Amino acid sequence: MNIEFNEDQIDALKEFMNVSIGAATANLANLLGAFATMHIPRIDICDSDKLIPKVNATIDLTSMYYVTKQLFTGKFGGECMFVMSEGSAQNLGKHLYDIENCTDDDVNDAVIELTNILTSTIVSRLTQELDTGVQFFVPSSQFVDAHSIININDVTHYSKIIIISTILEFKDQQINSSIYILTKDEAIESLKMLIDKKIEEIYG
Amino acid sequence: MELQCQDILLDSLENGHMIVDDKFIVSFWNRWLSINTQISKEEIIGRSLEEIYPDLNYKVLGRKIKTALALGTPSFYDTNSSTKFISINRNKVTTSSLTFMQQQVTISPYIVSENKVMISIYDISELYETKLSLKKEIEKVNKLNDKLESDQEIIDKNIMMMKTSLNGVIIDVSTLFCEFFEYKKEDIIGQNASIFKSGNVAEATYKELWETIKSKKPWSGEVKNKTASGGAKWVQSRITPILDENGALFEFHAVYHDITNEKLLEELYITDSLTKLYNRAYFDKVIGSIAKHQRKADTDFVLAITDVDHFKSINDTYGHQVGDEALISVANTLKNSLRENDIIARWGGEEFVIMLKNVTLDEAKMIIEKVRKSVENSKVNNTISVTASFGLTKYNLGEDTHRTFKRVDDALYEAKKSGRNRIVVK
Repeated sequence: MNIEFNEDQIDALKEFMNVSIGAATANLANLLGAFATMHIPRIDICDSDKLIPKVNATIDLTSMYYVTKQLFTGKFGGECMFVMSEGSAQNLGKHLYDIENCTDDDVNDAVIELTNILTSTIVSRLTQELDTGVQFFVPSSQFVDAHSIININDVTHYSKIIIISTILEFKDQQINSSIYILTKDEAIESLKMLIDKKIEEIYG
Repeated sequence: MELQCQDILLDSLENGHMIVDDKFIVSFWNRWLSINTQISKEEIIGRSLEEIYPDLNYKVLGRKIKTALALGTPSFYDTNSSTKFISINRNKVTTSSLTFMQQQVTISPYIVSENKVMISIYDISELYETKLSLKKEIEKVNKLNDKLESDQEIIDKNIMMMKTSLNGVIIDVSTLFCEFFEYKKEDIIGQNASIFKSGNVAEATYKELWETIKSKKPWSGEVKNKTASGGAKWVQSRITPILDENGALFEFHAVYHDITNEKLLEELYITDSLTKLYNRAYFDKVIGSIAKHQRKADTDFVLAITDVDHFKSINDTYGHQVGDEALISVANTLKNSLRENDIIARWGGEEFVIMLKNVTLDEAKMIIEKVRKSVENSKVNNTISVTASFGLTKYNLGEDTHRTFKRVDDALYEAKKSGRNRIVVK
């Protein structure tokens, strides 16, 4: 299975992601009334064991995190993972629910809602660009220590993964988080085919 | 085939489905919802959810409906939330962890132009209940692990332990063990346990130890081990063979208890302070025990008593200090000339008693003759010659030791009487 991307494929994927991120930012402002900045996404195609060091590099290993994971399926399937610090999640809960002391349920629901908006927008837009359909599954959220975000034994089942990562910041509400769109082996090949088809359509 | 009767289709599903708009007005309510909520279609259709369920957070619901309509994809409630979307009683009798149905609520865009969404409710109580009980079990295991860790810490700091492989390579040691023998853990892991051999324990003891533990039996005994700085410490040790699931030897685990002070006291109690030989009390105890138990291996011995010749005259001529040095010199000659397992004790004054094990009377006589010559050839302070007389007798099986002593005393008396510096056998 050839899962290496050539330069054209990477450029195209970056372009589609930029469009998707733009759409996500607009939707957040529209739906949550909050103006967010999303960094230009990084795209890494790497061995699966690189995921944990990559996530760990962006977090404080002594803190607790809300981690929401949502699966999506279709020709391009995978998992969206959203990692948010406890403080940011509390601020998000306050902002979305407009109450001073949010319950854990409120905070969880807020994180799930934000994840869902981002996943739906980014992945829907990406798949729309690639002319394919996508189905979303119910997101699940956990409040865990930094070392429990990903189980190394689970990740190493795959040979290669694509990590599309970006940072989301709501400056006014002091909220920031990291988003990872993860996809593996067969889905990577499928994504390559979709990108090639699209490149062919655009450039003949 | 195009579906004609969507209402019938949605009524036949084993999940709750309702259609509401962004003002929460209900336009469809399926059979599952009617049965589970006890609110009929007729009662609710055309009315706002707010009238029926005033406690719902409509700010949140409104936002989720808006999200679904704007994105064209579903929005969700947290499936783990303890706040229910709409409360539905759960009638399960055999377990009581959930009073209300745990729900997975999905809000999907339905007719976007009319701002209508479909809210679907799935019963995930069984799954949630399993999750809760799993969480409880994990908490229990974590608590046990914490306790185990704290117990292990107590053991590590308070008990001397060593684990070795079958060929004696050290696998692990406790902190107290390292402190006691003055080693760093990293310096002894991987070494052979023989690094602790002090040289003061008979090879026969180690042989017995290995034979015992290799036959899968635990071994207990006292050993004198070497410390990192070259000192030595006495320990009571118990070595337990560890077997694998097939009953084969796997490792050895040893637990030690410091008996150095007890050993020092014991040594003081049984040692003559001047000559460092055993004292009379110890010899009495040993010979008394042999006579009492009459074990074949122990009762085969020759008893010898020696007396330093003209000791009074040494004392009178050179003083008591030189007299003491003469006694020490004779004691050292005895120690150096005899075997490790022979027992030598100061019997009193200038007399010494010797138990020569597993020898015939003739062999004993030859040994003692060598001793006598050694005494004769040694010089106290390099100037004063000393000689000694010896009486010898063989212990007879079952004999009262008073009779043995009487015989050996008579032999010594005869040696003295017949000119000293000689051996008489009785």
